[in-house]
Amino acid sequence: MRWLREAGPVVGAIALALGVGAAVCAVAGYSVPAVYRELVRGAFGGRYQLFQTLTQATPILFTSLSFVIAFRCGLFNIGAEGQLYVGAFAAAWAGFTLELPPVLHTVVCLLFGAVAGGLWGLVPGWLRARRGANEFVTTMMLSYVAIYLTSWLVSPRGPYHGTQWANQTVRILRSAELPRFMAGAQLSWGIAVGAMVAVLVWYFIFRTPRGYQIRAVGQNPQAAEYGGIDVSGSMILALTLAGALAGLGGAAEILGTHRRFIEFFSPGYGWDGIAGGLIARAHPIAAILAAILMGALRAGGMAIDRAGVAPADLAAVIQGIVILFVVAPELIRWLRRVRLPRSDHVRAER
Amino acid sequence: MSVLSVDLFIAALRLATPIALVAVGETFSELAGVINVGVEGITVAGALVAAMVAFFTQSPWLALAAAVAVGMVLGALHALWSVYLRADHVVSGVAVNLLVAGFALFSTRIIWGWRGTSAAAPTLNPWFLVGAMLAVVAIAQVFIFRTPWGLRLRVVGEHPRAADTAGINVYRARLLFTVVNGALCGLAGAFLFNNLGRFTDGMVGGRGFIGIAAMVVGNYRPLPALLAAYLFGFVDALQMRLQAYIPSQFSLMLPYILTVVVLAGFLGRAKVPKALGKPYVKERG
Repeated sequence: MRWLREAGPVVGAIALALGVGAAVCAVAGYSVPAVYRELVRGAFGGRYQLFQTLTQATPILFTSLSFVIAFRCGLFNIGAEGQLYVGAFAAAWAGFTLELPPVLHTVVCLLFGAVAGGLWGLVPGWLRARRGANEFVTTMMLSYVAIYLTSWLVSPRGPYHGTQWANQTVRILRSAELPRFMAGAQLSWGIAVGAMVAVLVWYFIFRTPRGYQIRAVGQNPQAAEYGGIDVSGSMILALTLAGALAGLGGAAEILGTHRRFIEFFSPGYGWDGIAGGLIARAHPIAAILAAILMGALRAGGMAIDRAGVAPADLAAVIQGIVILFVVAPELIRWLRRVRLPRSDHVRAER
Repeated sequence: MSVLSVDLFIAALRLATPIALVAVGETFSELAGVINVGVEGITVAGALVAAMVAFFTQSPWLALAAAVAVGMVLGALHALWSVYLRADHVVSGVAVNLLVAGFALFSTRIIWGWRGTSAAAPTLNPWFLVGAMLAVVAIAQVFIFRTPWGLRLRVVGEHPRAADTAGINVYRARLLFTVVNGALCGLAGAFLFNNLGRFTDGMVGGRGFIGIAAMVVGNYRPLPALLAAYLFGFVDALQMRLQAYIPSQFSLMLPYILTVVVLAGFLGRAKVPKALGKPYVKERG
C-alpha cells in the first residue's frame, strides 16, 4: 500500500487548503457554504458539469505530464504555457493546410503539435546541458516569445490572420478534428488521448532504459555520470519530451475544443500543469487525478462566478494554497528520514 | 537615428530599477544559499499591495511601506519552507508565484470589480525610487565586500558548517537574507506601481526572472548586476521605441530573447556559492 502512504499527506494538504480557502472566503465576505456548494455542483453536479471539468482537465493533464517528465530529470519546465502555444499553432496550421483522410489527419496534426512543442523544449534543454543556462528562467522567457510570436502570426499584419473580427486562424478542416463525446458539450477525445499518453509516460519513465537514465540523472547527476550515463543527453531528451507533451496538449485543445488557433486562448493551462505535476508528486498516473482536480477548480470556479456567489478567481487562490501545503508534508517526511532532496546537486552546479 | 537619444538612456535607467532591485535581493539570498524564484510573485505582491494601500489611504508613503512589508512576509514564508521545512527551493518559489497570481486576480476583482486591474491611486515620483535603487546597490556592494557581516553572509552560502563552527546561526542568517530579498522585491513592486499609477495583471511581466538573470550575469556582485539590469532596461526602453517600426510582438520579445542569450553564457559565467540550494542540517552533539 505504498501509494496510500504517498497519497495520504496530499489528500490531507488538499483538505487543509480547502479549509484555508474557506477562511479567505469568509474574510472577503462571501458565504462559505454557498461558495463550496456551488463549487462542487459546478464541477461534479451532473453529466454536463462533469464534462466541463474534464474539458478543462484535458490540456492541464498534458502540461502536468510535461512538468513531471522534466522534474524526474531534476529539471524545472516552467515554460509549458509557451510550448502549448507553439504546439497549438502548429496543429492548427497542419489542420487547415494539409488535406488528409480523417483519422490520419488528426494524428498528423497532433504530431505537428508535439514536434513544435518539442523544439521549444529542445532549445532550453540544450542550453542547460551544454551552456549551463538556468532552465527555469529560459523556459519561462521562451514562453513569452512563443505567446508573442503566435500572436503576431494571427494578427492583421501577420500571415495567418484568418477572420476580420478576431485575431485567429481560419477553421481547421473537418478531417483534422478530434471528435466530441456529445453534442452541446465541448469534451473531446483529447481526454482519452491524454490518459493514454499518461500511461505511455509512466511506461517510459519506469520501464525503459532511457527513462531509467532520466531518473538517475534526477536523483544524482554525479553518480549517474560515474555510472556511465549520458547526463547532458538525458537532460536534453527530458526537456524536449516535456516540450512535446505540452505541445501535444495545445494541439489537442485546438483540434478538440476551438477548431482554430486563437491568440491568447490559454487561460494559464501551462501554469496549472506545474500545480498538477507537483500535486501528483511527479507521478504520471497520479497526474490524471491531479489534472481532474485542477479542471474541477476551474469548472467550479466558473460556476461560482455564474451563480454570483464569488469571483471565479477564488479557485486560483485555493489552487495556490493547495500547492503550498502539498510541497510541505513531503519535507516533513524527509525530515523523518534525514535524506537530502533529490535536486541538490543539479541546483548546486548551475 | 531618432530612436537613439538621450531620453532613451534615461528611460533605460528607469526601466532597469525593478530589475536591479530584484537582482540585488536575489544576490543576498543566494549568497546565503537560498534560491528564490518566488521573486516574480513577490514583486507582483509588492505592486498589488502598494496599489491597494495607496487607493484606500491615499498615502503613497504608507503604500511604499506596505509593499516592502508584504515582500518581507513572503520572503519569510519562502525561508520557512525552504530553510526550515527543507522544501526544494525552486518548488517553494514556484508555489509562492502561483499563490500570489491567484490572489492578485481575486483581490482586484473584489476590491475594484475588474479582473486583474486596480483603479488609479496617488503615487510618488518614480525617480525617488530610482534614487533609492542606486543607494541600495551601493550599500549592498559595500556591505557584501567591505564589512564583516558580508563576509559572514558569504561563508553561510559557501560553507555553512564552517559558519556554524564560527558561531553563526546558519538558519537565522538564511532567513534574514531571504527576508531582505523579499523587502527589495516588494520595493521593486512598489516602483512598478508608482511608475504606472495603478496595478495591472502582467505588469511585472517576467521582470523577476530577468532580475535573476541580471544577478547571474553580475556574478553575485551588486554593481555588475546593476550594469546587467541597465542592459535589460535599455533593451526594454528600446523595444518601446521600435514599436513604430516593427510589429509590436517582435519588439516585445526582445528583452526575453536577450535574457536567454545572456543566460546561455555569452557574457561570461557566474561562480555559484557552493552550498546554494542545499539544505543545512545542524549536527546534534
